[in-house]
Amino acid sequence: MSPLTITTRLAATGPVLKIIGDLDYETAPELRKALDSLSMAPGQMLVLDLAGLDFCDSSGISALISARNLAIEQCGDIALAAVPANTLRILGIVGLDQVFTILPDPATATNRDLMTG
Amino acid sequence: MDIRRRNNVTVTGCVDGPVLLLAHGFGCDQNMWRLVLPALAESYRVVLFDYVGSGKADPSAWDERRYGSLEGYAQDVLEVCEELDLRDVTFVGHSVSAMVGVLAAAKTPERISRLVMVAPSPRYIDDEGYRGGFSAEDIDELLESLESNYLGWSAAMAPVIMGNDDRPELGQELTAAFCATDPDMARIFARTTFLSDSREDLKTVAVPTLILECRQDVIAPREVGAYIRDAIPASRLVTLEATGHCPQLSAPQATAAAIVDFVGAA
Amino acid sequence: MMCRTDQAPDPEEEKDVDATDAMFTSLLEDSAEELYEQAPCGYLSTLMDGTIAKINATLLEWLGLERSRVVGRMRFTDLLTVGGKLYHETHFAPLLQMKGEVSGIALDIKTTGKQRMPVLVTSKVKTSEDGAPLLIRTTVFDARDRRAYEAELLRGRRAAEEARRQAEADRVRLQEALAVLQQSLLPAELPAVPGMEAASYYHTASPDLLGGDFYDLFPLDAHRWAFFLGDVCGKGPQAAAVTSLARYTLRAAALHDPDPVNALTTLNTVLHDRYTSGEGRYCTAIFGVVEPHDGHVEVHLASGGHPSALIQRADGSSDYLHTPGGMLIGVLPKATFTAARARLLPGDTLLLYTDGLTEARTGPDRTLYGDEALRTFTTTQPAQGPQALITALTGLLASFGDGLHDDTALLALGPTPLATPGVTT
Repeated sequence: MSPLTITTRLAATGPVLKIIGDLDYETAPELRKALDSLSMAPGQMLVLDLAGLDFCDSSGISALISARNLAIEQCGDIALAAVPANTLRILGIVGLDQVFTILPDPATATNRDLMTG
Repeated sequence: MDIRRRNNVTVTGCVDGPVLLLAHGFGCDQNMWRLVLPALAESYRVVLFDYVGSGKADPSAWDERRYGSLEGYAQDVLEVCEELDLRDVTFVGHSVSAMVGVLAAAKTPERISRLVMVAPSPRYIDDEGYRGGFSAEDIDELLESLESNYLGWSAAMAPVIMGNDDRPELGQELTAAFCATDPDMARIFARTTFLSDSREDLKTVAVPTLILECRQDVIAPREVGAYIRDAIPASRLVTLEATGHCPQLSAPQATAAAIVDFVGAA
Repeated sequence: MMCRTDQAPDPEEEKDVDATDAMFTSLLEDSAEELYEQAPCGYLSTLMDGTIAKINATLLEWLGLERSRVVGRMRFTDLLTVGGKLYHETHFAPLLQMKGEVSGIALDIKTTGKQRMPVLVTSKVKTSEDGAPLLIRTTVFDARDRRAYEAELLRGRRAAEEARRQAEADRVRLQEALAVLQQSLLPAELPAVPGMEAASYYHTASPDLLGGDFYDLFPLDAHRWAFFLGDVCGKGPQAAAVTSLARYTLRAAALHDPDPVNALTTLNTVLHDRYTSGEGRYCTAIFGVVEPHDGHVEVHLASGGHPSALIQRADGSSDYLHTPGGMLIGVLPKATFTAARARLLPGDTLLLYTDGLTEARTGPDRTLYGDEALRTFTTTQPAQGPQALITALTGLLASFGDGLHDDTALLALGPTPLATPGVTT
């Protein structure tokens, strides 16, 4: 069990949340809390950097969907970056790999949007 | 279950002597008998124990329902007798334990063949035509006293218990357990003791009985001694030149001598 | 600064000390006797039988008694309330006898007008040179304030104990309620299906937390039976509410239209609408219909984000019945679900499970158990039908110990197995 830490930075493309640790029943509310304090401009992309995500259970998956709902509500988009293999496998099982944009790393997200934007 | 450990059973004295089973009353534990022990150990095999809920008995054996009646304590006595296979026992019960002995003797007359009642009382609360010495409210007051002394207990008692350098024989083994029972257990023992009415049970006593009363006892008035003598045909009442409720402490020689005289003569 | 250590005291300074002493002496009691009588605490000396031999004025004043009525006429216990007397006889006196000293015992004395005064009593036995007890010296301190404070503490302790007892009772009641609720999410027992055998198992990871796994098996008509097994995201009462909703929605949907994709689509719509505002609630599920025929069972099922069902074949092989791309139910207003069909012959068993099984951690390095290990395990088990497979898996789950951290549901279906050779039925 590792505790969850979330750091938020604001890239030109939108907020980038770095999620480190376990995202589960105990810690998922912390991600929701971090999301509540976010504000996004229309057209921005919320990037969740999951490189440091050790573990993600169904409560964690629910929290990721909450993040997606929030981004869409604010007329933005969402991408998951550097998704660890195990979480990617679970996303595949539940069909969410078709719903989330999945990127190799956060830089791809922030740079790509800078270049195209 | 290990009865010897549960009831902190101690056996001392003459291996082949007649058996005395010494049972403490409400308040303290088997250490109550310390001052009469040397005299008794000379000619008897002396068995001491603590009731569950007192002294160094195993607190995990406590059962609120069992020890909420004197029968529960009598059960402890019977189990100790069975565990050690004691026969032809003289049961010496102090205070409420005298009535516990009455109950135990009625159940196993083959094991308990004599009773010694030290400062006994079959009923502490006054009743019509009977003076026990107390009212029901008095008993509530005692329960209050138990409570208020529990709070300051460890702080108040520790120096007393540890500071006996000049009397090493009362040293370390006389631990805080003496008179410092868990307050919840003490409350139940107090209630069981002081609200009990064993007057009917006295009629069941068929064994020779010695009643030892004190000249001045604030807990068991003189009327009570006479009452018990009249209720038990095979009984003898001896009034000790002692004050207080614990002649085995305040007049140990006289108490031991009376017991020896009775058992020896029996 | 001069060092005067080795010099004689300054005569001037000595004179100052003398003056100070004289001043204190004039302020202090003029005799030890007066100190004894007027001390701020009570003093008394008693004979060994308790008869009061000496008592100071302070204590007499508290008691409201004349000295002549007390000395030689009363015993220490006569000063106490009845409760105090009992306490004295059962605790105080034995302790004093045994140890020669007792300190800080709380007792109540009777004062004028039948009032009670809480005091703290300390007694010490005075002995002769050869150790024989001579008399008991006792000090009595006014403890009215302290006792009031202690009474407050006692009340606090009682309240805390009461609260603890209450909390314990509440916890027991809650656990009972949770157990009942958990049972309501699952069928009490699986119905008997002609020509088929069915078996199930539910492992609860935590008695305090309702799990979100569910399954069911029920008739659609005379020939067909519907089944489902699913897993709600999250735990606790909110998850249980979704579990209940999912179970009854699927049951109702199946009776209306038993097509597996349609049943899951109905559930998707219900969950998405119900939890559209605020925190979403999702589940994964496999829903299917079985139709027993002479000698085999037809299976038609669909999955919404759920791990693929596994089929243990009579020939000893095992394979997943893949349903790729089926989506988590309740996330999107329009979701896609993937259907699959299979035929089960005698000795074949269809196994549905929740990911508590495959996500369990095993071995010293706590590696994921995984679906490949599950498939391998199944191939090593003799193909003796649903009940035998569930029994084997129950043993497997137990072997995971605390590596099994999530609730786990198992449901197995198959044609009634043929009598095992050598075993008569």
